[in-house]
Amino acid sequence: MPDLIFALLSGVVGSLIIAVIPQVRNRLRNFAVLFFCAAGTFFSWRVAIAVFAGESAEISGEIGGFPFVLSPDPLGAVFGLIASTLWLFAAVYSFGYMAGKNRQRSYFTFFLLALSATLGVAFSGNLIALYLFYELLTFATYPLVIHERSAEAMKAGKRYILYSLSGAGAILIAIVVTYSLTGNVDFSGEPILAGHRSSGLNFLLILFIIGFGVKAAIMPLHRWLPAAMVAPTPVSALLHAVAVVYSGAYGILRVVYSVFGQELMRTLSFRYIFSWVIAFTILAGVIIATRQDIMKLRLAYQTVSHLSYILLGAFTLQPWGLAGAVMHMISYSMLKITLFFCAGIISEHSGKTRVSSMGGIGRQFPETMAAFGVATLGMIGMLPLNTFWGKYYLMKGSVAAGMWPFALVLTGSGIINAVCFIPVVVNAFRGEKAHTNSGQKTGVALMLAPTLILVVIALFTGLWPGMVWPAVQAVVNWYF
Amino acid sequence: MMTVITDNLPVFVVIAPLFVAFILPTFARRLRLVEGLVIIANTLWIAGAAYLASIVLSQNGIPITYALGGWQAPWGIELKAGSLGALFILIIAGVSLMVSFFARNNLTEEVGSYERVARFYVLILLLGGALAGMAVTNDLFNVYVLVEIATLSCCGMVSARKHARAAEAAFTYLILATLGSILVMGGIGFIYIITGHLNMAFASQELGRVWQNSPHVVWMAFSFFLVGFGVKAAVFPLHVWLPDAHSTAPAPASAILSGLAVKGYLICLLKILYNVFGQTLMQQYAVQRILVIVGTLTIMAGSILALTQDELKRRLAFSTVAQVGYIFFGFSLINTKGLSGALFYLVSHAVIKSTLFLAAGAMISATGEGKISGLAGIGRKMPITVAAFTVASLGLIGIPLFSGFIGKWYLLLGSMEAGSVIPAVVIIAGSVLCAAYLLPVIRVAYFEPTPEVDVKDPGLSQKVALIVLAAAVVILGILPGPFMELANMAATELLVLK
Repeated sequence: MPDLIFALLSGVVGSLIIAVIPQVRNRLRNFAVLFFCAAGTFFSWRVAIAVFAGESAEISGEIGGFPFVLSPDPLGAVFGLIASTLWLFAAVYSFGYMAGKNRQRSYFTFFLLALSATLGVAFSGNLIALYLFYELLTFATYPLVIHERSAEAMKAGKRYILYSLSGAGAILIAIVVTYSLTGNVDFSGEPILAGHRSSGLNFLLILFIIGFGVKAAIMPLHRWLPAAMVAPTPVSALLHAVAVVYSGAYGILRVVYSVFGQELMRTLSFRYIFSWVIAFTILAGVIIATRQDIMKLRLAYQTVSHLSYILLGAFTLQPWGLAGAVMHMISYSMLKITLFFCAGIISEHSGKTRVSSMGGIGRQFPETMAAFGVATLGMIGMLPLNTFWGKYYLMKGSVAAGMWPFALVLTGSGIINAVCFIPVVVNAFRGEKAHTNSGQKTGVALMLAPTLILVVIALFTGLWPGMVWPAVQAVVNWYF
Repeated sequence: MMTVITDNLPVFVVIAPLFVAFILPTFARRLRLVEGLVIIANTLWIAGAAYLASIVLSQNGIPITYALGGWQAPWGIELKAGSLGALFILIIAGVSLMVSFFARNNLTEEVGSYERVARFYVLILLLGGALAGMAVTNDLFNVYVLVEIATLSCCGMVSARKHARAAEAAFTYLILATLGSILVMGGIGFIYIITGHLNMAFASQELGRVWQNSPHVVWMAFSFFLVGFGVKAAVFPLHVWLPDAHSTAPAPASAILSGLAVKGYLICLLKILYNVFGQTLMQQYAVQRILVIVGTLTIMAGSILALTQDELKRRLAFSTVAQVGYIFFGFSLINTKGLSGALFYLVSHAVIKSTLFLAAGAMISATGEGKISGLAGIGRKMPITVAAFTVASLGLIGIPLFSGFIGKWYLLLGSMEAGSVIPAVVIIAGSVLCAAYLLPVIRVAYFEPTPEVDVKDPGLSQKVALIVLAAAVVILGILPGPFMELANMAATELLVLK
């Protein structure tokens, strides 16, 4: 239990401390950021290991007369692990990326605050706590989205916050309905709505899915995500490929398995509609991605597509499907953050943000483009990358659930992913070496190191998927 | 000794501010003395209110009754300080203490000479006394008298600034508010005609027996009250006077007008609807449906109009219209959750809106700029003011941990219980719109480059007032304990009468 508190507090305390460190003390600030990120990661690991070992930690109390429970279960522990670990990588990358830039203090303050909010989402034990941290996450990440302070950034920020708050509003109504139906909002034990049978629950499901679907970027609620790409690259990498969007996907997993429960879900006819919306998002997202010339936008639309992989797994209501969803959550996050990191390195050091201008860039940044290439294979879902296993179980789950068309959707998405990114890699290593005015050279190592380490980890977990299997199995056993 | 205090509490909490208001003009030339007196009076008042609240809480909501001049009801005027009264007076006293604190050393430049400042304080105290009276009185004619006192003192406060726009706003307000008063008077007259009583309890009993003899008169009474108080509480489409009046007044006046005055009329309406007519008649005449429709329309119209305002204070004034819609809608929910939600929302909005207006006033007087775009980067220059504004904004949007959330939660629960889904969606839409009109202010203040101009940071007492009020928003959001309990008791008590 102290681990849980420390994990949650490290971000908040860190952000308060950074807020008072003067703007110019860069080294001191970076040190503090690293320390608090590491603390958050360390304690999240401890929490997660305890949870996988079957121990339960719970903090419950009342806030404003509402029951407020923090109690990580395996699903929450997995999300907490992913988020906090990648936070550490993104922090190191940020030191390189932000070096010499303005407003570092504001950046790192909210960067750490968002860590606490994300871990809060992950470890929440009832709907009230989940809602609280979900809202907090919106407000903590808003300043990061508008970090550039340009007109475009302000517009993106406005869109982000209005989309998120509308989604949160839908969730609030849904929570109130759930509470007035059952008087219970706890995730522990039976699913909250277990035993209720009514076709009206379909509409409750819509409310929940729309609410969390905003952050999970289900089409047509995804429009904020490409706009938010004006944020600094580490923010796009961490928040808009992993933490924030995963909090939406995680919310939907929670709704499906902890609020409705798989038995009740089977009786709801609207789940078919959602499954098809999700399948559509998978294909449409990646198809739109192939048409984007700006690298970050291309990656953003691919995120839209891949998030729906996770949701598809949730909606199969099969152990294999859930395993696939969790597996994909773990493995995809590592590789997607790598892709963004690479894009960031290239745009920082060559100024190139468009795919069409990246011919020959691989000669200039061999390590970066190699990492990019490996991650690309992962996006397609090829061995020996870890994403293969996620996709494999997702397909298995779809077939087992009798939803074999979705297995085809996944295959098709893999092919389009290949069409989308393989040419980028090939072009990068073909042609003559691009001579560009490589502006600043500072911090290359700091940016490159986390990128390469993540690729190596992805390869390892791809070759030995047993490394992550205990976590996946814990989640599946929890619900089935 | 204790019983003397306890027995006289209901009248003390009304008389204390009124009495000080009457003696204040004597010292008009000595500003320090006036300010000191006002703060002492307010402190005494708040102590009385807190004591009253604690007694009511310990008695489980059983009210203390007081017969003015020893004349027992139904002949005399009866004061009945129950949970509703205690809750509301506590908030009035608390907010006006903080507003008076904020106004220290600050009013002269906005209002003019020392005498005018003293007169302004007189008006604040008169208004406070009248509002406290509305909360405890159990007599219909007394309601009318208090409504008139409140209206006239509001009018004085609106015109406190020597400004053509202020005079115009005050005049519009005077005309419309008087119209409202006349309608309220008419409604009281109708009740008196058919029941022969002015005491609410007696009138209600009699009304239950005789309403079928004159159904149209009851209908007239209902509509007079709804329109009369509707004008005063500024529900859509009768809100036209409010934005001008509340935005041209000096900051402390805007805070009190938006935070408290409007609420007084709402409390009167609530008492008349539930304590005089009762639920059965409300259902019979479909008053609920009117409240729902008017409430939801007010929420939407107020929020959308607020979005279109460029001037900070006007934006806040329209936001008040929208928030009145929430409370109005809450009154339609004939269940404990909905009503207590409405009452808690009323309390939380009183604190939140006065914080917002005071902070806005401080920002505007520091920069000399009334437009939102003129506040660029001000967050760095006056951190406490903008922080208070931010906290209050988050409260108004209804983020958990802030007081507005609890009110909204119970309103939503209540509307689920009443089976009304569309209003629930409107409540949420209102929150999102609220974010859309308040967050840009914060964004401009914090995230836009600071121009190189001198900005006058507010004085110490202003800062203290803002900190206390913002802290109250958070404390009400985390530990609503006694306030929620009082609201609950009040709701239960209102629902006892069938």
